[in-house]
Amino acid sequence: MTTIWKTALGAALMLTALSSAGWAQTAVNVGCTATTDCASAAVALEEGIFKKNGLDVTMTLIGLNSNIPAALLSDSIQIGGPTPSVFLQAVDGGLDLVAVAGASSTAKATFDTAGVVAAPSANIKSPEDFVGKKVGAPGIGAFLQVLFSKWLIDSGVDPKQVNFVEVTFPTMNDTLKSGAVDAVVTAEPMMSRIIASGTGEVAGYFLEKLPERRPAIFYASTREWADANPEAVQAFRTSIEEAAKIVNDNPEKGRQAIANFTKIPLDVLSKMKLSVSDPKIEQEQLDWWVATMNEQSMLQGEPDTATLIQK
Amino acid sequence: MKRSWWKGLVVPAALIVAAEIAMRLSNTTSMSLAAPSDILAALLRALFDGSMLVATRDTLASAGAGLLLGGLLGLLLGMIFGLIPIVNRLMEVTVEAIRPIPSVAVLPIAMLVFGFGYSMEIAIVAFSCLWPVMILTRAAMAGIEPRLIEVARALRLSTTQRIAKIVLPAALPRIMVAVRLAAAIALVVAVTVEIAANPLGLGYGILVAQQGLQPDLMLAYLVWIGVVGWSLNATLAFAEKRLFGRAAQVEAAGA
Repeated sequence: MTTIWKTALGAALMLTALSSAGWAQTAVNVGCTATTDCASAAVALEEGIFKKNGLDVTMTLIGLNSNIPAALLSDSIQIGGPTPSVFLQAVDGGLDLVAVAGASSTAKATFDTAGVVAAPSANIKSPEDFVGKKVGAPGIGAFLQVLFSKWLIDSGVDPKQVNFVEVTFPTMNDTLKSGAVDAVVTAEPMMSRIIASGTGEVAGYFLEKLPERRPAIFYASTREWADANPEAVQAFRTSIEEAAKIVNDNPEKGRQAIANFTKIPLDVLSKMKLSVSDPKIEQEQLDWWVATMNEQSMLQGEPDTATLIQK
Repeated sequence: MKRSWWKGLVVPAALIVAAEIAMRLSNTTSMSLAAPSDILAALLRALFDGSMLVATRDTLASAGAGLLLGGLLGLLLGMIFGLIPIVNRLMEVTVEAIRPIPSVAVLPIAMLVFGFGYSMEIAIVAFSCLWPVMILTRAAMAGIEPRLIEVARALRLSTTQRIAKIVLPAALPRIMVAVRLAAAIALVVAVTVEIAANPLGLGYGILVAQQGLQPDLMLAYLVWIGVVGWSLNATLAFAEKRLFGRAAQVEAAGA
């Protein structure tokens, strides 16, 4: 028995050594969640664009977006794809992070890739009907729920009068069908499946009236890493810019790269629109998010957005 | 007894067949459920392409290393606390304040300190395994026949001799119980850490399959974790029987 444990410990130590040796100098590990927002990084990896620009990139699939700041700080990943709300809350909490490039942003072409889907029995037709209802969202305080709440506020409804519960994407259809929630705040590829199975109907496209180019995901790192690796940051930006063009012009390549990275079956991805890749990130975009989050009292302080984008 | 061993399988088999029929008939588009035959197919696929075996190795290595580390620390602390009453009294408040912290609650801190990888998982598993081993060892120390200690004193054994020749052999059966308890905890905690944060092992496999909208593979991982847990416990029980014989068994039953 001791031999087994010794072997196990030995193997563990050896693998730890191996994996840390893999993260030498210009090696960059990029951490993203299983959405299409990091398509530019996935394509840059798949098409050898990172390699061409002198970056040795690996990508790690992160389960929860809110784990990204801690993963950045521990140097497990050097660049991550947080949502603006996760990023700003981390910065607000004192973590020294900077945005290095844009990943995806809202666009008129993709407003229908997210929405709130209600069970027919809930009889929800307009924003006012959500008062007192139970609504499932993939994460409280996360991207979709914040923008859904903004939609409610803009329609004159106080989101505090809505009961939010967390429901993961894959269980949304079943949860809605069972009647445990009246509606779910969802996105593709789940949304069209829920509608196709007859479980629910779209009760509102809350991205529809948003201004264009509001970031959904952007690439961020710690300020320390970005300051220490200016060439890597530059090479990353160049790569993402080139890859973003490929994603937007040739979505099939984006789908293939996303399928390889997230393991979402290609036939699921083939039926859905990819988020628009937008390699630029600007202060005005962060300001909009700060204002949106302040509307919902999500921030303690006032983040200095001028310093939050790496020069 | 031997001829009717299959009777225990009737209910599970019937349930599996019922689930298969229900899934086929309802023609469901569920993203969190799958038919048993699909789960089996996904399990075989993942076993043959090696991905599940790699994940199993990662999880078992972390759980094993964490168990070893936490177990040794727990044993050491348990012996110190059990043998030196004044240390036990001095440390009581500290230990009782730290012990009830759920292991998953230390995850954010462990992630900041260690980052992704084996060290984070090993640290959290060790933290969870430390306490049961420590408490059972401490209790085992207190339960040693006082006359044995007197004998040791009469023989003028040194401290190390006393521990090696009297204390450990007397407390061994209870310590074995503690290790088996801790082994079960180790696997649970390792998988939980992987689902919550750490990108490796069986828990991460579940997460990726779930987020990749492959419920058959996700449930295949679940079934496999059950198989691994069962085998682990069976192996430990077998090892206990072979290595320590009836002494460990009888005491364990009484403990």
